[in-house]
Amino acid sequence: MAGSNAQRAADTPVLEVSRYSLSYATPSGPIHALKNIDLRVAHGQTHGLVGESGSGKSSLAWAILRYLPENAIENDGRLLLSGESLRDRTLPQILEIRGRRISMVFQDPSTSLNPAMRLGEQLSEVLIRHRGLTVQEALEESEAALARTGIAKPRDMLRRYPHEASGGEKQRVVIATAFACNPELIVFDEPTTALDIITAQQILELFNQLQDETSISALYISHDLGLVSRVADVVSVINSGEIVESGPSAEVFRTPGNDYTKALLGAVPNPKQWLGVTEPPSEAPALMSAEGITVEYGRQSLLGQLLAPKPTHLGAQEVSIEVRKGELVGLVGESGSGKSTMGKVLSGLQDFDGNVRFGDRNFARLAEIDRTYRRAVQIVFQHPDASLNPRQRVREILSRPLKLYDIVPREQRAERIAELLEQVRLPQEFANRLPHQLSGGEKQRVAIARAFAAEPELVICDEITASLDVSVQASVAELLVSLQRQTGTACLFITHDLNLVRQLAHRICVMQHGKLMDAFHRDDAEGPDRNPYTRALLKAVPPPASQAA
Amino acid sequence: MPKAFRTAAGMTGLGLLLLVMGAATLGPLLAPYDPQAFHPAARLQGPSAAHWLGTDQFGRDLLSRLLNGAPSTVFFGLGATLLGVGAGSMIGVIAGTAGGWIDSVIMRILDGLLAVPELLFTLLIVTFLGGGMGQAMLAVAIAFTPGMARIARSSVLSIRTREYVLAAVARGERSPYIVLREVLPNAVGPIIVEATIRVAFAIMIGATLGFLGLGAQPPSTEWGLMVAEARQFMFRNAWTVAVPGVAIAMAAMGFNLFGDALRDSLDPRRSS
Repeated sequence: MAGSNAQRAADTPVLEVSRYSLSYATPSGPIHALKNIDLRVAHGQTHGLVGESGSGKSSLAWAILRYLPENAIENDGRLLLSGESLRDRTLPQILEIRGRRISMVFQDPSTSLNPAMRLGEQLSEVLIRHRGLTVQEALEESEAALARTGIAKPRDMLRRYPHEASGGEKQRVVIATAFACNPELIVFDEPTTALDIITAQQILELFNQLQDETSISALYISHDLGLVSRVADVVSVINSGEIVESGPSAEVFRTPGNDYTKALLGAVPNPKQWLGVTEPPSEAPALMSAEGITVEYGRQSLLGQLLAPKPTHLGAQEVSIEVRKGELVGLVGESGSGKSTMGKVLSGLQDFDGNVRFGDRNFARLAEIDRTYRRAVQIVFQHPDASLNPRQRVREILSRPLKLYDIVPREQRAERIAELLEQVRLPQEFANRLPHQLSGGEKQRVAIARAFAAEPELVICDEITASLDVSVQASVAELLVSLQRQTGTACLFITHDLNLVRQLAHRICVMQHGKLMDAFHRDDAEGPDRNPYTRALLKAVPPPASQAA
Repeated sequence: MPKAFRTAAGMTGLGLLLLVMGAATLGPLLAPYDPQAFHPAARLQGPSAAHWLGTDQFGRDLLSRLLNGAPSTVFFGLGATLLGVGAGSMIGVIAGTAGGWIDSVIMRILDGLLAVPELLFTLLIVTFLGGGMGQAMLAVAIAFTPGMARIARSSVLSIRTREYVLAAVARGERSPYIVLREVLPNAVGPIIVEATIRVAFAIMIGATLGFLGLGAQPPSTEWGLMVAEARQFMFRNAWTVAVPGVAIAMAAMGFNLFGDALRDSLDPRRSS
């Protein structure tokens, strides 16, 4: 490229979106997904686009890649890639641009890679198609590309199928593919959301390292403010299809100008800000103690063992956890650590070896768990969409525990349901609604109300905030604490979010590979005797930039 | 009217179904002629003012025969399906809820039965039970059972691990409540759709059995038998085959489209 051209290229933004609006035509009228969007990604810049679910951030990514459904209606706004309009390209031209000049990294590497193709084929395909390399050259180049993403044995990895690689390795392959043709722009759509905390941290470091090496321009889409503050130079906050604030990342995070941005930043869990209830005195008796719980998955019958023996897998191994009256204990771990297995054991859904002591009673296996125990220990699940029966109205859902445990006489049930709804801060009219007429946060409130309807002594919360937006997460956590304050119920809070749990829990237990690795009081979280794994977890989730000071 | 029926497909299904069910209830009363009366002078005629749909090889009025045959044809389709769907769903729900070795034993037996093609299976049962309407209906119902059981089971299995079912188990609900109130209402969707498709199949298998002489016996006016009896004269007067054939197709389509709309209207997420 000649000097003057290069100069011009550096001045023209790599991506320029101006006055762009997008809506979707539906039988019940148009839905406005994007309203008058203005956004520029300068050469070598990482532009963070932050928004909650439904904010339109993914619609923008699809519009840039020119991959819109048939019912999409666009206005006459502009989408420019290095000064050239993307909107008047024909499909064959767009196909040349995708992968060559703009590439994309998706959220979940396990669905964005073709399970029937070796990783090497998928990576080299892009090089053959867009850079015209021969198969041999492409494979060599792929190996080099993988090596740059920090994969230890790249040649070996190229021969594997996606199911033979871990989530982190797969995402490295996807990122290597995106960087392979040295595109002008890479769109990252929540690239770490589907990964474990520590893996996500490594991918983030990889991104920053590749960004430094190649000075590629990136549009980094995420719901996670803390994360964006660590990668983006410039950030735009999008809310219901409108960009409400935009500016240099440090500035936006330190001195947000817009109310929505402020609310969003305020909702990010800050481990230094205590939200939980007063800690019960240390001599308070144990309410529930699980002693040496072991869960073996895939256990076979005698006949099965003879015919086709399969290895079993330990979901939990000799795990002991204690919860005192009125206490909130955090149980933290990555996916597959066994934390949900413990939740299932304690809520009577999973058979186990070991002993669960509740009050002065002992339970040595699933069959011994009776209704008295089940009433005293209630569970709230992760997915608000799946935890309520779609065919039952809120009234029926809430009246069930009242009826089952005979908590109030029949004629007082309606009144009690109204009280329960009020306790979880929902209007009384919601009793008539069906679950699909509620938002995610509202559904989760109903699920919490159902658990508290039984007037339990212990509530197990299994990732209850993981499927919710940041701002909703905060209000659900706060609701839980206020219910705890009113009722004195103890709580086992299972989560992967360390920052959140440090705001709520008196004591924290850490699990990995089915084993209890660490258990400590919240004051000792940063103490010197923490397990190395705990320290790695804590290091992987620093608080967002605005709170670091 | 529920929203699901207010689509083109829903309306068509409802219309066809009303037509077929109307014929099945009032048909014999509306027939202009005696369906069994021979008129040797008016054999194999096309449509005319006197005979709207023409006549067959014996000069019998096709419209009258069609209307007269509607009750037995529809009764056959609905009866065989209800029996088969009922038995199959029950077995499937038991297998899906019980799990463990009960499930394994039931499913291995059903897998064996599923290996035999449905029509062949029906024919085998008919050879044991003997020909005739009732026997044919029972045979079709038995042949439907394994497939229905499989569908019911997989539907139950996918619902059984939902969190709202786990929540019911965790709070100590009894099994009947869990199966009847939490699992079944959410598992019926695929069962209903499959059932309505199978009504159409049952009518067609019934017609096939009639055609082969194993179902309804002459002089019955069951539609499949009408096609069978008319087939030798197909090239002299296509109406003799087309009239009952189109009627079977209309009934089958009516049930199919109605089933789709019914499923949508039973789903609270789609109906509002």
